[in-house]
Amino acid sequence: MRWLFSFLALALFCVVNARSFTGSRLLVVLEEESEREKYGVFLGDLESRGFTITTLTPKSESLSLFKHGARAYDHLLLLPTKSKGLGPALTANLLLDFMKKEGNVLLALSAETGTPTAVQSLLLEVDIHIPSDRNALVVDHFNYDSTSAAEKHDVLLLPFPKPARSDVKDYFGGEGVIAVPRAVGQTLGNESPLLAPILKAPSTAYSYNPKDEADIVEEPFAVGQQLNLVSAMQSLNSARLTVLGSAEALQNAWFAEKATLAGKAVKTANRDFAAKLSSWAFKETGVLKVGKLTHYLNEGSSKKLNSSSALPENNPKIYRIKNDVAFQIEVSEYTSTHLTPFELPPNDILQLEFSMLSPFHRLNLSPISQTANSTIFGASFRTPDQHGIFNFAVKYNRPFLTGIEEKRQVTVRHFAHDEWPRSWQISAAWVWIAGIWVTVAGWVVFVGVWLYSAPVGAAVKGGKKTQ
Amino acid sequence: MFLRSLLPSILLSGACVVSAASSWSFEDATLSIQSKGSAVGAGAKEKFSPTSPLAKSVSLGTSDSLKLLLTTTDGKKAKRPHQAFLTLTDPTTGVEESFVFGVKESGKAKLDLTQKDLPIQFLTSTKPIPASIVIGSFGASSPYNSKVFDLSITRDQNVPLAVPEKPVRYAAEPEIHHIFRSDPQSPPKIITLVFAAAVVGALPVLLGVWATLGANANHLSKALSNAPISHALFVGSILAMEGIFFMYYTTWNLFQTLPAAGVVGLVAFISGSRALTEVQERRLAGLR
Repeated sequence: MRWLFSFLALALFCVVNARSFTGSRLLVVLEEESEREKYGVFLGDLESRGFTITTLTPKSESLSLFKHGARAYDHLLLLPTKSKGLGPALTANLLLDFMKKEGNVLLALSAETGTPTAVQSLLLEVDIHIPSDRNALVVDHFNYDSTSAAEKHDVLLLPFPKPARSDVKDYFGGEGVIAVPRAVGQTLGNESPLLAPILKAPSTAYSYNPKDEADIVEEPFAVGQQLNLVSAMQSLNSARLTVLGSAEALQNAWFAEKATLAGKAVKTANRDFAAKLSSWAFKETGVLKVGKLTHYLNEGSSKKLNSSSALPENNPKIYRIKNDVAFQIEVSEYTSTHLTPFELPPNDILQLEFSMLSPFHRLNLSPISQTANSTIFGASFRTPDQHGIFNFAVKYNRPFLTGIEEKRQVTVRHFAHDEWPRSWQISAAWVWIAGIWVTVAGWVVFVGVWLYSAPVGAAVKGGKKTQ
Repeated sequence: MFLRSLLPSILLSGACVVSAASSWSFEDATLSIQSKGSAVGAGAKEKFSPTSPLAKSVSLGTSDSLKLLLTTTDGKKAKRPHQAFLTLTDPTTGVEESFVFGVKESGKAKLDLTQKDLPIQFLTSTKPIPASIVIGSFGASSPYNSKVFDLSITRDQNVPLAVPEKPVRYAAEPEIHHIFRSDPQSPPKIITLVFAAAVVGALPVLLGVWATLGANANHLSKALSNAPISHALFVGSILAMEGIFFMYYTTWNLFQTLPAAGVVGLVAFISGSRALTEVQERRLAGLR
């Protein structure tokens, strides 16, 4: 019994200590155990952030991403291996299955060893393209480290990336320069909104194959900012695939190295960038969570009660057309250790759709209030004058943030017979109403006259008698 | 962005290094625009150098082809670099595209450019597109990167451009507000009031006509003395029925109305037969 308790305590400890939102089991695949030393600082940082690291080589017997059909690890870090293939446990299909089960993958490529075929076909599957030459790497004659690559110009020194769009949160910003030695450049397919560049190459960079005999580049794989050094794919189930062009950038040797950029001595900040990149890749940052979601009738007696708990009826199943309705949603963002109130990027908007087949309303939700670890966004609107089955839908997909997809179904009925305006409220009806009551009055007077009228003259009397 | 800010410093530092190491540059640069069908070499030729870029922008028509000839140099010597690009940057969208020079061993470089080679963003750009030449290679020689001319695209407006559909990107979408059907309209109140007044005015006219024809209520006391209860009840029940109709119109529902109407109707039926018998008696007595 005691061992069970200690096991439970250990498990609890791990859960409490984990900084990732989805789990702490990290599998690192590398060429051989001795390689681990090269990445010691990076892996040590990961361990200190609460990850339990398992290091395996592609050849090891126990290597399997799944156990009893479920994920055996939460995250996968694939470091470059010398072999062309990765073996039967790491095929492109299995890696995709791993992502389908919401596992996160950080792929570190290297121009020196080449990219395994399994990884090549995995990248092809998600529309990320790498050069077909095994040894193609990125050079830039303008932003290179003249200490370590004075001749070859293949160690790029770049500032931390800024968000490409103003409505995207910055998860990778920082101070200093990043050394990107011998990187495999990637280009992203234009069709998919799931792909996003993290670190673009400078506009004078290009990709070429050093094994090529020609002493001039004639048909480069890609040039300038179309070339990405780090890129990301976040699938619809929010599993993350991060492609780092240069695995060397994660090595101890580059974590705080003295380098020279255009004659000036600089120090590389790779450790900071590696931490930021891995925390995004392994879902320590950029994870959204929806809390309470309420909608209620916002008129009549319920309008006065504003606090959602005091409301007579929250989330009713039915509304009438042209009802005033209020909607609130609570959103938190997970940052490293805890949930914090979600703050939208400056130019971004969280939107509510009230839709039947197509949206009738698409409204901007504005932050109403904040709790200790969430922001409450809200909007009020009037239900459309169309009855049917409607949805309150909040769909929020943005680069670098896990998706929000919430739907609540309600019926919108038409007016009941006693909810229409009364006839006297309609001015056009006044003529007809007057007609009715004039007829009534005339009828009553007629009855009185018929019952009690005395004949006036004899002639009239005689005439009446003969009738 | 970063590069633009970095560029001057690089050039500056490049200039400092010149004494130590040579730097890449070019000479004998000529640019010519050739329109389709014209003889070779007929187009205007313009010369420029690394230090004096072309002042006015170069216009490239739909069927024109731009031809750039230059000799790349390292220091003073003509030499072949590893990288010799012409880079176009769209000032509005920030789209970049580089075109690779064909460079011979002697450093003679050549580039042909037509509108077919350009991405759609350049063709639809309204501003002139800055074009810069990038020359660089391995080793210590400092690279060259500077704007040499502006390229303005002139397009035949009658030829439609196949602009590809914008790819899906996750972002906030425009707001939609449901447009409600307009409320039913009533005519101007003044018209309604005039006609309502005409209807109401018809009642006194009717009563007046009856009065001139001799309508009166002189037999009321006689009727009440002959059959007081049944007359009171009959007239009362008729008034009560109208009252019930009024209540039904304003507040009551059908289930409140029907029992009341049943009771009043029964009273009217029973008292009415007595009251009308009295009226008949008066008629038979020749009093009507």
